[in-house]
Amino acid sequence: MTALFSPRSTWVARGVLIAALLVAAVVPALAMTWVRTPWARGEHRRIAQPVAFDHRIHVTGLRIDCRYCHAEADRGAWAGLPSTRQCVPCHTKLWMSSDVMAPVRRSLATGRPIPWARVTQLPDFVYFDHAMHVTKGVGCETCHGRVDRMATAEQVAPLTMTWCVDCHRDPAPRLRPPQAITAMGWTRPAGDDSSGRVLAARYHVRRLTNCTTCHR
Amino acid sequence: MREDGARGSWRKRLERYSGRDWYHALAEHAGGEFPPGAADPPRALSRRDFVRLLGASAALAGLGACVREPDRKIFPYVDAPPEVVPGEPLHYATAMTLDGFATGLVVESNAGRPTKVEGNPDHPASLGAAGIHEQASVLQLYDPHRARVVRGGGRRSSWGAVAAAFAPAALARRVGVRGGGLRLLLAPTASPLVGTLLGRVLARYPDARVTFYAPMVSAAPNAAARAVLGAALVPQYDFRAADVVVTLDADVLASGPFNLRWARDHAERRRARPAGSLYVAEPTPSPTGTVADHRIAATPAGIGALAAALLRAVQSDARFAARVGTGPLGEPPLSQGERAWASAAAADLAGHAGRSIVAAGAGQPAEVHAIVHALNAALGNIGSTVWYTPSALLDAGDRERDLAALAAELRGGAVNTLVVLEGNPCYGAPADLALARGVRAVPNSLYLGAYADETARACTWHVPAAHYLESWGDARAYDGTASLVQPLIAPLHGGRTVAELLAVLAGEGTTSAHDLLREAWRASHGDGADADAAWSEALRRGVIAGTTLPRVTPAVRWDAVGRAHHALLERSTRPAGGLEIAFVASHAVHDGQFADNAWLQELPDPVTKLTWDNAALMAPALAARLGVASGDVVALRLGARTLDAPALVVPGQADGGITLAMGYGRTGAEAAARGVGVDANALRTWDAPYAATGLTIARTGRRHALAITQAHWSIEGRGESVLGQRVVRPESGGAEAPPVAPARKRRPLTLYEPPAPPAEGFGADQWAMVIDLDVCTGCSACVVACQAENNVPVVGKEGVLESREMHWLRIDRYIDGPADAPRFETQPMLCQHCEKAPCEYVCPVGATVHSDDGLNEMIYNRCVGTRFCSNNCPYKVRRFNWFDYNAELAETERMVKNPQVTVRARGVMEKCTFCVQRVRRAQMAAQLAGEPRTGPVMTACQQTCPTRAIVFGSLTDPASEVARAVGDPRAFSALGELGTVPRVRYLARARNASVAAPGDSRRPTEGDDGGE
Repeated sequence: MTALFSPRSTWVARGVLIAALLVAAVVPALAMTWVRTPWARGEHRRIAQPVAFDHRIHVTGLRIDCRYCHAEADRGAWAGLPSTRQCVPCHTKLWMSSDVMAPVRRSLATGRPIPWARVTQLPDFVYFDHAMHVTKGVGCETCHGRVDRMATAEQVAPLTMTWCVDCHRDPAPRLRPPQAITAMGWTRPAGDDSSGRVLAARYHVRRLTNCTTCHR
Repeated sequence: MREDGARGSWRKRLERYSGRDWYHALAEHAGGEFPPGAADPPRALSRRDFVRLLGASAALAGLGACVREPDRKIFPYVDAPPEVVPGEPLHYATAMTLDGFATGLVVESNAGRPTKVEGNPDHPASLGAAGIHEQASVLQLYDPHRARVVRGGGRRSSWGAVAAAFAPAALARRVGVRGGGLRLLLAPTASPLVGTLLGRVLARYPDARVTFYAPMVSAAPNAAARAVLGAALVPQYDFRAADVVVTLDADVLASGPFNLRWARDHAERRRARPAGSLYVAEPTPSPTGTVADHRIAATPAGIGALAAALLRAVQSDARFAARVGTGPLGEPPLSQGERAWASAAAADLAGHAGRSIVAAGAGQPAEVHAIVHALNAALGNIGSTVWYTPSALLDAGDRERDLAALAAELRGGAVNTLVVLEGNPCYGAPADLALARGVRAVPNSLYLGAYADETARACTWHVPAAHYLESWGDARAYDGTASLVQPLIAPLHGGRTVAELLAVLAGEGTTSAHDLLREAWRASHGDGADADAAWSEALRRGVIAGTTLPRVTPAVRWDAVGRAHHALLERSTRPAGGLEIAFVASHAVHDGQFADNAWLQELPDPVTKLTWDNAALMAPALAARLGVASGDVVALRLGARTLDAPALVVPGQADGGITLAMGYGRTGAEAAARGVGVDANALRTWDAPYAATGLTIARTGRRHALAITQAHWSIEGRGESVLGQRVVRPESGGAEAPPVAPARKRRPLTLYEPPAPPAEGFGADQWAMVIDLDVCTGCSACVVACQAENNVPVVGKEGVLESREMHWLRIDRYIDGPADAPRFETQPMLCQHCEKAPCEYVCPVGATVHSDDGLNEMIYNRCVGTRFCSNNCPYKVRRFNWFDYNAELAETERMVKNPQVTVRARGVMEKCTFCVQRVRRAQMAAQLAGEPRTGPVMTACQQTCPTRAIVFGSLTDPASEVARAVGDPRAFSALGELGTVPRVRYLARARNASVAAPGDSRRPTEGDDGGE
C-alpha cells in the first residue's frame, strides 16, 4: 500500500502554512500603512468643479485677499463661498461672455446656485469654527496650503484628529501676526523664536484639548 | 407626492426588532429594578451564531473606518442676504396661538429652517418662557403626515379652484345673495385681522352665521361674567401681589392662556415673600396641585360645594359680612377634611384680604365662576390682585356659540355651504351632537386644516392650513397685547391661513396673508414712513405697544351670586347617582390638535408619568372597591354611551369620580396619533361638556399596556437623599424662622484635593446648575425644550415600555403620605455632572471624560456602547441608542434637527451635556469680542422654565446667580452621601404650615413613606 501523502506534501503543507501567516501579517500591515498615506485621506485629490476657477490668477495674479470671497471667515463658523453676485463687479467687463463663465451666467439668469464640490470636509461630529481660528492667529495657509499655487483647490492637510490635536496642544508655534493671516508663503522672521509665545499671550490662545472643544 | 408620508407610523417601526410577546410580558410587570428577562441569556441566538456574528462584526468594524466621507456640494447664495452669516442662526419674533390666545415667541432659524422656539422676553404672556406646546410646535411644522394637497369632491384640486368656487360670484348663487345658506365655524380667535375680514364677509352675506367652537374653550366663564358682572369680562390676576391663592380646579400655573406669566409671577412672589400659601382643590393632581401648600382632592361636584362653603365662611366673618350682599347663605354638606380645608382657606383669605386671589378653572360650571367673582369682590381683591378686562377674543369668543344649534341646522338641511376654519370640530365636538353626520349632510363644505383629519373627511373640500411658522397674521394675548405673526419659512405644503380664506369669501380674491396684514396695518397706522417704522418695530419686538386691554371695574350683582350659591347648594345635597367623570385637556396633546406630535405623545404626564395614552384616572380607594388595577380595561357607561378605557390608579385623585383626558383616540390621517388612547368625546355631551355624573364602571377582564416612565409610588425611604430635608416654614407672616439646613458637608473627605481652577482663560469658569424645587411645578416645558435643543429622538410606546425613552432631562415624581391626601414632589433629574463621576471611571474607551470647566463630557464618536457608564450612574440619566432612531425620519423631519448638536447613531450612549454647544458658543463669542469673561449662558431647560427654577452659570463668578444659589441654606446634592459631588444642586422644597391645619406640613419621618 502506498503512502497516502508523498514526502513532498510535507513541504507543501509547510509552504501553505508560511504563506498563510505571511498573508495574515502582510494584509493588515498594508491596510494600516494605506490609511496613513495621504491618498487614503484624500489629500491632493483632484476634485472637479463646475467653474474652472483658478486661485492662481485671483490670488497671485490679482492679489485679491482671501476674505474678499470667503467673507465670513473671520466672523462665522464657515468661511463662506462667494455668492454668484460677488463675481459680477469684476466680471461684467472681463471674460463674462467666455465659456468658463457659462455656469456663472446661468446661475445669474436662473437664480439657482452654483453647485461647488466641497474640498475640505470634516466629519459631522466635528464643530470647527473659522472665526475662532482666523482671529486667533491661525493663517489660512496653515490648513489650506498654498492656495495661491493651486489651479483647482485641493486638500493638503491630513485633517486627522492627530493633526488637529498637535496644534491644539501647543498652538504658539503656528500663530501669525494679524496682518499675515491671509498671506501665502509667510515665514517667521529668522531668529525670531519668541513671537509665537508673545502672540499666544496677546490672542489669549492656550492649550485646548477638552473633547467638547470640537465634539458636541 | 406621497399622501401619508408613506413611511408608516414610526411607532410601529420597532416591532420588527423584537417579539411581541415580550411587550406583553412587560405590560404585566409592575415593579422591580430590572425588566423581566434582563438576566436571561438571549434566546434564538446559539453559540455558533454568536461566534459567526462576532467574526463578522470584527471584520466589518475595521472596514467601517476605511470609508471616506461622501463627496458633498456647497450651494452658495446667488444673491446673499446681508443678514445671513452661514452657520450662524437668526432669530425672529412671532407668536403662537392656542385656544385663541397668543404667546409671544422668538424662533431660531438655521439656514432658513426654524429649529427652536423660545419665549419672547418682551411679551407679557411669555416673559421669555415657553410652554410644552410652544416648544413642540416646531416639530409639527415638519410633520410628514400633514396634508399636502387641496382636495375637492374626492379628488385633487387646487387653491385656484377653491378660490373660484367660493368667490362671491359662485357662492352667492348657492347660498343666496344675503348668504342665508352660509355658515362659518371657527375656533375662537383674537386675531384683529380675522375679525376685520369676518366683518367684511358678514357685510357681504348679512344672513350668514358664525359659530366659534373649541373643545377646551368653555362657555361657562362668559355666562357667569354676564350674570354677575353684567358683561363678558375676563379676570386678570397679579400673582406677584397675592400672598394667598385659592384655586378651584384651576391649573393656573401650567395650563390655560396666561399660565407662563402666572407661574413666573407666583414663583417670584414665593421667592420674595415665602410665607404665602397656595390652596388647591381639584379632582386630579395637576402641576398647580403638586406645588400647593394645602391641596384637597374633590370631585367636580365637590368643588362646587367647596366654593359655596368658602363664600359662606367669608360671609360669616364679621369683617366681610357686610360686603357679601346675598343675604344669609346655606351650609353645603362637607366631609371633615373638606370642611377643614375650606375653613383654613377662608381664614387665610380673610387674613390676607386685598392680597389674595381666588380662581376657578375654565371647566367649572358658571355657578362656581360666579362665586369666585363674589369672593374676590368681598375680599377686596378686585383692583389690587384681580381686575377685569373685556375678552380679547372676537365677540368674547361666543357669538352664537351654540354648536348644538349649528349641528341641528346642518342635519336639518337648511345649510348649503359650511366653511370650517381650523379646529377639527368633527373630532372635538361632544358625541351627542353627531356633528360629522351633520357636516356630511351639507352639500358644500370646506375645511381649512393642517391634517386630513376627521373634519377633512366629512367635508367636500379640504385646503391644507399653514402652520403658524409659515403664516403672516396677528394675534392677541390674554391681556390683549397684540403681536404680529411672521413666517420663518415658506409654506412647505402650500398651506393657507384663515385670513386668506376669509378674503376669498369676502370677494377679495387670492390676496396673500402678508398683503392683507399690510393693508390692515395701513388702515390702522396710516401710510407713511412712521407706519413702516412701527411695522418694523412690531415685527422686531414681537409686541405692538399700547394694545393691552383697558381695566374695567364692574359692580357685582349679588342676587345672581345668591342664585348661583343656591344652585350649588342644591346640587351638593342631591343624592349622588353613580360616579362623576371629569373631561380635561390632555397635558400633552391638549384637545387633540397636538396628537401627531411625537415629542408631546412621549412626554410623560407631570403626575401620572403616562406616555402615548390616556386612561381613566381613579383613586386607589375607588380602584379597590371596583377590584381594578392599573392597566385593567374598564367599560365606562354614561347614559346611553359606553367607552372602554384602561384604568390608571392615581393617589390624590378624588374618590367618587374619574378623570379622562381628551385629545386621544384619533382616527384622522395623523399616523402617529391613530390608535393612541381612547376618544373621550364619545362620552361627552353638549350639556355636560367637562364634568358629568351618573357614570358606572364595569370590569372587562382585558388588560392594556400603559407606558409609564416612573413606577415609583413611594419615595422608598430615600426622601432626604433625593429630595433633601423638607423645610417647613411657620406661618408667621414674613418674620420667618431660618430654614433647616441639611447637615451635610459639601465635599466628602478626600486624600487628594483637586487643583484650584485657573484664574483666567479656559477652565476659569466652573459650570454648575441649581434647581429650586420650591418653585418647580413639574410642567415639563424643560423636557421638551431639551428634546428640541439636543436632537433627542423619540422611541415610541414600545420603547417606553422597555424603559428606552431617551429624554436627557426627566421630571421624577415622588408621592408620599396617605393615598387619599398624598403629597407630591417633583424633581427634574438630569446628568449631575459629578465632579467625581462614577461613569468616567468605568468607560473602557474614554468616551466620557471631564472637561477643565467642570462638564462631564460625552464623546459620541469614541463611544462603543458598552453601557458600563449607565450601569454605574446612580442617577440613571444616561440614555442608550438601541436603534438608529434617526435613520427613518422623513425628509422634512430631519429639518428640525439642531445643527449645533451631533445627531447620534445606533449603539451610542448619550446624556445631558449642560447644553455644551451653548456654553462653547458663548465662550467663543466672548473671545471674539475680547471679553475677559464668558457672558451669561442659558441652557435650553433654563431658558424655557416659566418659574425660573433652573439657574445655570459659573461657580467661580461671585456675581453669578448660581454662586449665590449654591450658598442657600436649602441647597443639597441628590444622593450626596455617595460622594459624587454633583454640579447640579437642588434647593429643597419648603411648605408653609397653616394655622388651621398644622399637621398638613409635618416633616416626614422614615416610616412616613407610604404610598401604595
